[in-house]
Amino acid sequence: MRAAFAYEWVRIRTIRSTWWLTALAVVFGVGISTLFSWAIHHDFTSSGINESDLDGLAPIVTTQLSASGHVPSVVCFILAILGIFAWGHEYRHGMIRASLTALNSRSALWTAKYVVVGIWVAVVATVTMLLSALVATIFLHDFVTVFTAQTWGVIGRQVLYGVLLTWLAMAFTSVTRSQAFALVSIFLWPLLIEVLITFFFQLVPGLRDHTEVLRFLPFSAGSRMVDVLTSSSGTFSDPLSALGGTIVFGGLAAAVMVASYALFEKRDA
Amino acid sequence: MATIEAHGLGKSYGGKPAVADLSFEVRPGSVTGFLGPNGAGKSTTMRLMLGLDNGAGSTTYDGKPFVELRHPMRHVGALLEAKPFHPTRKARNHLRMLAAANGISTARVDEVLALVGLTEVAKAKPKGFSMGMGQRLGLAAALLGEPHTLILDEPANGLDPQGIQWMRLFLKSLAAEGRSIFVSSHLLSEMALMADHLVVIGKGRLIATGPVEEFVNSSSGNAVIVRTPDASTLADLLVGRGAQVVATEPGLLTVVGMTADAVGDLAFDHGVRLHELSHKVATLEEAFLERTAGAEEFQAHAVAEGSAS
Repeated sequence: MRAAFAYEWVRIRTIRSTWWLTALAVVFGVGISTLFSWAIHHDFTSSGINESDLDGLAPIVTTQLSASGHVPSVVCFILAILGIFAWGHEYRHGMIRASLTALNSRSALWTAKYVVVGIWVAVVATVTMLLSALVATIFLHDFVTVFTAQTWGVIGRQVLYGVLLTWLAMAFTSVTRSQAFALVSIFLWPLLIEVLITFFFQLVPGLRDHTEVLRFLPFSAGSRMVDVLTSSSGTFSDPLSALGGTIVFGGLAAAVMVASYALFEKRDA
Repeated sequence: MATIEAHGLGKSYGGKPAVADLSFEVRPGSVTGFLGPNGAGKSTTMRLMLGLDNGAGSTTYDGKPFVELRHPMRHVGALLEAKPFHPTRKARNHLRMLAAANGISTARVDEVLALVGLTEVAKAKPKGFSMGMGQRLGLAAALLGEPHTLILDEPANGLDPQGIQWMRLFLKSLAAEGRSIFVSSHLLSEMALMADHLVVIGKGRLIATGPVEEFVNSSSGNAVIVRTPDASTLADLLVGRGAQVVATEPGLLTVVGMTADAVGDLAFDHGVRLHELSHKVATLEEAFLERTAGAEEFQAHAVAEGSAS
């Protein structure tokens, strides 16, 4: 197992895409938070503050607006590409055979990939949000305390969301063995497919009475993990609680990961 | 030093056998050539030997299957792909990554880069590498752990003549150190110079295994050439002794199934004058084509005369 971790640790650091995706996540993340903080500061200074404006403001700025429940996390989606590349490069460039002749344990390689990429994503997401929170503090310290228990909680759940999203993307890539297909799917699913399904339910008369099931759409459920603006009455009520969202989204990630492991063990390299 | 023992290897794709009940042995201290027509199952066999493909049978390296070897690159070095690396990961980093998985030092990485002549491009991205350079990097990876066994699939692909000669001498020197070298190639002339033993397969099944010399000697391409003014008399005598005789041209006989000494003695005993008595030694190519006739997966056809208009 140590050998597999050593392999993956060198692998992830010796490929340029790791560094540009990491830089992109930090720059985009901190950049969006800076712009938003500056705009809020400007607005509060010129137009005054409405108490309701401060609801969830700190976590929303810290998470590049994804704690609003309406915007997918830019940082997490960028970092998920690292996961797609972790498996995608194996199959796209025929590396998998070299990997499995250097490491003859499939389960060790599989585990090391998820753990190393997961830790990398968790660290980068945490650093990005801490820097974002710092920027928010600089701009908004006159109006709101950024580092609150709520913010720390949201940071923790957002990191968890990022890791789960990355693992889902990794598992999907490993199952399909297609980097391009996985890249397209991971963006189309939340941005188009779930939106289309929601519209279907709203437009088709027979489905209109069943819109409550839409809360189980995995990416909608995932967004509930950090949503600080909409409260929930129970774990699986409508809308889901943060725990409910974690179970649904994490459940999907776990299911695809199990499939990925089973296929990785069974298939030819 | 390890003996490779492959036993009952088998693999099917969609019900069609690619490799069937294939067993052979590769001894230390020798280069064993792995021959077969395109689609015969050579690459599949090598992947089965390394546990990369799931199939029937087993392969052991000194009694242990590949998946049970601790730090596998220290036991078995493999080159299976033409360019088995990420195009933008620097050559040295590619090897560092493989080395990390096997507890191999960075100093050894630099050593194998020098050994295969890639020191100057160690920090270059392999996307610009020629096929030959890619093969050298693949070979460097196979040699990283100073393994006792090398499994190489078409390692001479893309190499220039100097590179091919270097590869041959290098593999022979490794075998001379007592290592087991199992190498596939479609360059039969090269294999004739390099290999000590052969494993020949066709349509996934074993056709022959043994020393190269034995394989070549078994070919009907080995013959005695006789030039004589009494060709018909001598031909009758030879056929009477059980030889196969072909009159290649007037006064020239090709005799299979008798030694030159026996042909000479027979001619002398019957007063037949000989103008030439020589050996025609079969080439590995002739022996291979003869033994694998009908075992090709993909058969090309000659272009009919006048069809290209």
